[in-house]
Amino acid sequence: MAGRTPSQTIGPYYRFGLRWPEGGNVGFAASGKKIVITGRVFDGAGALVDDALIETWQRDPANAFPAPASGSANPHGFGRSDTLNGGAYRIETLMPGGSPPSIEVTILARGLLKALRTRVYLAAEADVRADPLLAAVAASPRVKTLIATPAGGNEYRWDVRFQGEGETIFFAF
Amino acid sequence: MNDMTAPKPIDPPYAFEQYRSTHKRSPKEPLLALPAGALDIPGPLVPAGFIRDGDNDLTIHGKSMPLGERMFLEGRVVDCDGRPVRRSLVEIWQANASGRYHHPGDTHDAPLDPNFEGIGRTLTDDEGRYRFVTIKPGSYPWPNHAYAWRPQHIHFSLLGNAPVQRLVTQMYFPGDPLLDIDPIYNSVPDPEARKRMICRLDLRTGRENYALGYQFDIVLEGAKSTPMGL
Repeated sequence: MAGRTPSQTIGPYYRFGLRWPEGGNVGFAASGKKIVITGRVFDGAGALVDDALIETWQRDPANAFPAPASGSANPHGFGRSDTLNGGAYRIETLMPGGSPPSIEVTILARGLLKALRTRVYLAAEADVRADPLLAAVAASPRVKTLIATPAGGNEYRWDVRFQGEGETIFFAF
Repeated sequence: MNDMTAPKPIDPPYAFEQYRSTHKRSPKEPLLALPAGALDIPGPLVPAGFIRDGDNDLTIHGKSMPLGERMFLEGRVVDCDGRPVRRSLVEIWQANASGRYHHPGDTHDAPLDPNFEGIGRTLTDDEGRYRFVTIKPGSYPWPNHAYAWRPQHIHFSLLGNAPVQRLVTQMYFPGDPLLDIDPIYNSVPDPEARKRMICRLDLRTGRENYALGYQFDIVLEGAKSTPMGL
């Protein structure tokens, strides 16, 4: 068994290496309900983190892992948005299937020596608390940090806090 | 084995005193341990057409060759059980030979090279192999502490074939005297694991009278679930 290669920070200069055209516009072969998730990323001092990279991965509206993209398209079901614009990210996607619907999130940034892993739910709080994945924290007020807030129309808001008050629940992966 | 000491973790901790940027960005709450296998799911598939010809050659995008030591960089991406990680995305970015990034946020007073942007990407083949043509990056100062300079490094991003395999790391060069005093390199607790981030000089990977050669294998987490056909 070979030893795994350790993680290192993405650093401040990933911009040209990892930024994709239309990276935050998630493609699918399937059709479904369009949604937009926007939010901001904060550090432990409440300052906006304007050099993070947010990656999303999700099932399609039929609750299946997305069929492969063709041609030169970005991979289906996968989103990438940086926060270079003042600490805000934006993901345009389709509502995933499953109950409660959720999207896996990976966060990379300068000062993160390894990725932060979490999940955003697009569902009512009671349904989220009943998800077996969260059994260990089902009664915690912090569960709310994983739930996107409907913001009118097809929009949702979801902020991420690295540290301190309102700290997002991150997963040991 | 009578060794009762627990093995050191492979990855750095989130909070690492000597690396200042971790202070306000590291979670303080314990991480949530998930039920076993809960996130052992397949990952995104990157279509072959996502990579264009020349994307893995960082030296051909200017009017002439970039400055610096030209190098061929090759390796394999495998999982902990030695299985190749097939047709998965490898992205790299790096400073130029003077230690300057083609990036508006880099204010280091070293010259930009109009012939070098320092970005590349490729897909691994069916054996997990990848290859880049680039130049050896320079070291550069950074504001972490007095007299801080980063060792020469190339940033690597690996999508893997499952979310558990996603890895961002940095590749370092053998014999760099700055490694011993670099907080980011030394944030990895186990000195043996640190060495896995150092590439190996292999002149035959290069080309005579043309390019140096380096080998750098990358080992990802094992994944129970990978996309169909991989």
